[in-house]
Amino acid sequence: MTAAARYAGTRVQRVEDTRLLTGRGVFVDDVVRPGMLHAHFVRSPMARGRIRSIDASAALALDGVHAVYTAEDLNPGVREHWYSLIGRNVPDTPRPPLAEGEVRFVGDPVALVVAVDRYVAEDAAELVVVDYEPLTPVVSYVSATESEELVHEAYPRNVAGTLGGRPAEDLAGTFAGAAYDVQETIHQQAYSAVPMETRGLIAEYSAPTREMTIWASTQSPHEVRLFCSRLLGLPEHHVRVVMRDTGGGFGQKAVPQREDMCVMLAALRLPVALKWIEDRQENLSSAGQGRHEHGAARMAFDDDGRILAAAIEHVQDAGAYPVPWPVQTAMVVGLLFPGPYRVPEATFTCTSVFSNTNARAAYRGPWQFETLSREMLLDIAARRMGMDPIELRRKNLLRRDEMPVANPNGMPYDDVTPLETFEHALDLLDYEAFRAEQERARAEGRYLGVGTSTYIEPTTTGMGFLGTEGATIRIEPSGKVNVYVAGGSSGNSLETTVVQLTADALGVDMADVSTIQGDTAITPFGGGTGGSRSGSMIAGAVAETASVLRERLLAIAAHRLEAAVEDLELVGGQAVVRGTPGSGISVAEIADLAYFDTGKLPPGVPPGLEASGRHKGQAPMIWANATHVCTCEVDVETGMVTLLRYIVSEDCGPMINPNVVEGQIAGGTVQGIGGALFEQGVYDEDGNPLTTTFVDYLLPTSTEVPTIEYGHVETPGPGPGGYKGVGEGGAIGAPPAVVNAVADALAPFGVTLTRLPVTPASVVALVQAARDGGPA
Amino acid sequence: MADTDVRMTVNGMVRRGTVPARLTLADHLRQNCGLTGTHLGCEHGACGACTVLVDGEAVRSCLVFAVQADDTEITTIEGIASADGRLSTVQSAFRDHHGLQCGFCTPGFVISVTAFLRDNPDPSDEEIREALSGNLCRCTGYQGIFQAVRAAAESLRAGSPAPEAVVPAPPDS
Amino acid sequence: MKPAAFDYHAPVDLDEAVGLLGELGEDAKVIAGGQSLVPMLALRLAAVDHLVDLRRVGELRGIEVRDGALWIGAGMTQAAVERSAEVAEAVPLLARATRLIGHFQIRNRGTIGGSIAHADAAAEYPAVALALDAEFEACSPRGRRTLPAREFFTGWWSTALDPDEVLTGISFPRRAGRSGFAIEELARRHGDFAIAGAAVALELDDGERVRRCGIGLFGLGSSVQRAAAAEEALAGAVAADVRPDEIGRTAMTGLDSIPSDLHGPPEYRKRVGAAMVARAWTKALQEARNG
Repeated sequence: MTAAARYAGTRVQRVEDTRLLTGRGVFVDDVVRPGMLHAHFVRSPMARGRIRSIDASAALALDGVHAVYTAEDLNPGVREHWYSLIGRNVPDTPRPPLAEGEVRFVGDPVALVVAVDRYVAEDAAELVVVDYEPLTPVVSYVSATESEELVHEAYPRNVAGTLGGRPAEDLAGTFAGAAYDVQETIHQQAYSAVPMETRGLIAEYSAPTREMTIWASTQSPHEVRLFCSRLLGLPEHHVRVVMRDTGGGFGQKAVPQREDMCVMLAALRLPVALKWIEDRQENLSSAGQGRHEHGAARMAFDDDGRILAAAIEHVQDAGAYPVPWPVQTAMVVGLLFPGPYRVPEATFTCTSVFSNTNARAAYRGPWQFETLSREMLLDIAARRMGMDPIELRRKNLLRRDEMPVANPNGMPYDDVTPLETFEHALDLLDYEAFRAEQERARAEGRYLGVGTSTYIEPTTTGMGFLGTEGATIRIEPSGKVNVYVAGGSSGNSLETTVVQLTADALGVDMADVSTIQGDTAITPFGGGTGGSRSGSMIAGAVAETASVLRERLLAIAAHRLEAAVEDLELVGGQAVVRGTPGSGISVAEIADLAYFDTGKLPPGVPPGLEASGRHKGQAPMIWANATHVCTCEVDVETGMVTLLRYIVSEDCGPMINPNVVEGQIAGGTVQGIGGALFEQGVYDEDGNPLTTTFVDYLLPTSTEVPTIEYGHVETPGPGPGGYKGVGEGGAIGAPPAVVNAVADALAPFGVTLTRLPVTPASVVALVQAARDGGPA
Repeated sequence: MADTDVRMTVNGMVRRGTVPARLTLADHLRQNCGLTGTHLGCEHGACGACTVLVDGEAVRSCLVFAVQADDTEITTIEGIASADGRLSTVQSAFRDHHGLQCGFCTPGFVISVTAFLRDNPDPSDEEIREALSGNLCRCTGYQGIFQAVRAAAESLRAGSPAPEAVVPAPPDS
Repeated sequence: MKPAAFDYHAPVDLDEAVGLLGELGEDAKVIAGGQSLVPMLALRLAAVDHLVDLRRVGELRGIEVRDGALWIGAGMTQAAVERSAEVAEAVPLLARATRLIGHFQIRNRGTIGGSIAHADAAAEYPAVALALDAEFEACSPRGRRTLPAREFFTGWWSTALDPDEVLTGISFPRRAGRSGFAIEELARRHGDFAIAGAAVALELDDGERVRRCGIGLFGLGSSVQRAAAAEEALAGAVAADVRPDEIGRTAMTGLDSIPSDLHGPPEYRKRVGAAMVARAWTKALQEARNG
């Protein structure tokens, strides 16, 4: 009994935009509480050292300083520090609020200064004297397993954990007997989410009532609430978390981190609210980084280029204090390494290794190394086999009509279209024409290249903390509608999505629907933004809940109109007899009856028009897929790479709002371009971070980014509306497409590209080395 | 370190204050004038989120001390829409072309683009990209923003107001 | 990220400004547009007890012909230089360089004097001043003096100015004869400081020979510098005989403090520098021939 969709599938304007365009958004730093104090952290200036003593007397003597807390003050207050997202039953890694005894990276929080304003707090932090005994740091995760030094004493060889697939020996025969056995070790640098709004929160505690209120910059208010409740031992309903607008998260704000713990703990000791707003240097050195990893990738092919087996030995940098537990997410790299290809056999190992650097934190498509390493390896293999990389992929890509199919690691793919998006993207490019242009350019000494990448990604998990989503819909006495979902605006248009879907479900105008999100005191529980889940999950929650209200609206209308329920429909804010315009009764009139004239309700229909419902994911995950195609020109004199065209053909099922879908793709893609060419978290040999400002950490700007062209293949998934996730894919697909394009441009030099980022200097060095090594 | 009296006209209103010399204009606007639409994304002049108009020129308000803005006219994002709440052509174009997602960088873009199109009403695509390059966005990949600037330039040249909204915004937003 | 405290002074004229600087000594720092200084204060990489703001000093403003040269007040914003028809006409190299500085919001506050006095080794204006043999006027409690560009840039962010001296204006020779100008730089992103760059000011005689060629290099040492060996090789040369890549390579000889950083080792910068000189030479020559 679904009304014809009026809004779903269309490019409606976003309901968030008016406030955000006029400076009326409310980000956490915009919130001011009476008497509020400000926090600033004293952080470790060295990668590893023993804290001998901390002298805060000069800081405390400064006018305007309220307190200086150290680990001794705050850490004993911790009751539990596990995340709902991961669960309590994992061998989680250490997470002290303030550094205890030892500092483990440059930026490790050592003390928390509380002062009347941020300026004074920073003055005071300079006056806190910490006496350190320097220790030899473990700077490189690559050599950390061989180091005599340990980041955490309890972890021998600095290994946080290893998980793997079949024994590698099982595949030895296949590799040995294959026509081609191609191996290459691919390295990816550290890069980060870098939301434009840094992290931050305000915590305000009322001791008499044991109530904590938190204003947070977060992707998941309910995770913050649960975490805070366990951290401090407060009942969940005594903690309220509020977020109206969050300035981007991309994984970094999925769960509370150590600084958040400190502020929550400190708030217990303060009579007024405490605000902490991370600054950009802190964000780039201490908020967590992603990606830093390498993998020995290997594939066996037969004479015709058919894949016989795939294997990867993957090692990732966990940093000093990873959030969340990194071992589980690392395994996804191994599980998905076969990707969207027909691969009969596979195996993997995935190892997470500590280092005295910034923590590993969740970042948009945390497992994307599977796509990066596989797609780079396929291009390398094609060149070694003397085959066009497009032909190699065509032979091996899975098609829609092969679904469902499990990959050799047991991943149950369904409803995906890898070959279809691949061909679609190549059509949009006109691959043959590009190759001809490339040929002409080479004759003139110009180097053009094309790269592709095709991936399949799990979205919208139906399991655990993220496996359900709730909605409450209130049709108010005037007939206007308010929808409550956990949500919160962090860039992915959830408010618009909710309003669109609710308006469709109830047959009312979008203008008559508002949504209230991001306040745990009034919204139903929901896992928040992450894992490309929000669209599908919210659609389920709204559908579940609206169906109850539809039924009630129609029952009341049928009673009033003396018509059969089956003959009525909800359209244009009215319940009307099908095919008889003007015959109806408005939702406003129904609401009036439901609240103020309840004697006229049909028997058995409860008063009011309010319902709550909860959707449960039906599948363990909903698969989505896409192909990225990139072309570029490389100036081999200077090494500069200019991107020419960028095409994404994706299958996220039907689109609730194509603008939002394309916006997610574009944003993720440009983050991936950043990772391929510009962004890099760099440390010197002593473990000092060198890229802690926007002058050194290079985000792509409008001048480096090409126009992105979109292709849409629509295959419904198993969830509500057939919608699939689309939030992370851009960041997964882009890096290998870009790198492969550069490698293709440099093919005449016989260059093999295995390291990111592709900087101008690295391009020149590769070409130089290839030239010095003799003719290609 | 003595505080200094400052007087500036902000969005048409005279604002007076007594500020420490080190207080940035951005903090003065946010903390003393209550204008929190000016956002701080980096505080070292690289991201552009805090861009405001000082005597009509787009500048980074994190790189100006409030005392340096004494006796100037300031326009912040709160002063761009008309008094009755109607969006400017630039703001409407951003909405129409999905030129924003999380909205944190948006005020800086709107201010920068407003000044840019005033000075260069008929920009080439290359000029648009160059003009946008001083503002960082992490959500949109600049695609919608670029389209919005193109469309706004066209609307402004045609002298026509921005097209009506497909869906009117809810009254409470 | 908030600066440490300081006292603020906004003198109304040059005498008051240099008087203050003399009185406050090393504890004071001049601020003009502040686009380089304020980030350093915010990051607490620099701290000052006194900031002397030149915003009210009228003598630092103006663009006019003085003694045959184009005089630009040190307080003129880069945006004002960019918009000036006189600059575009008389000192086209300066106009072209301006568009490469940061972003327009930075140029709206950043000043030409500030850029030159800050003396970043990778900055465009100092290199242009070198290539054109500009002259700098400065004022201190001891009076006024003129410094040639060649003697001005002395090392990492350091100049020949005394601590209590204010740069008041820059005089650029106006375009004359068969001349061509070009500035080329390579930056990772638009508006970034250049990895390496070159500003070329070329004048040909009627016989297609090089009458004068000034080459200012930036990003290739502890300060901007002239490509002395290349300039020498070019003096009097027949333009058509000059091989751009060779001039580029020659320009890189004798550079002994090429920085190494995240963008690459010195050899890479040298390679880029040579390419930029070659490209700028080619463009400048083309303009000189057509002009």
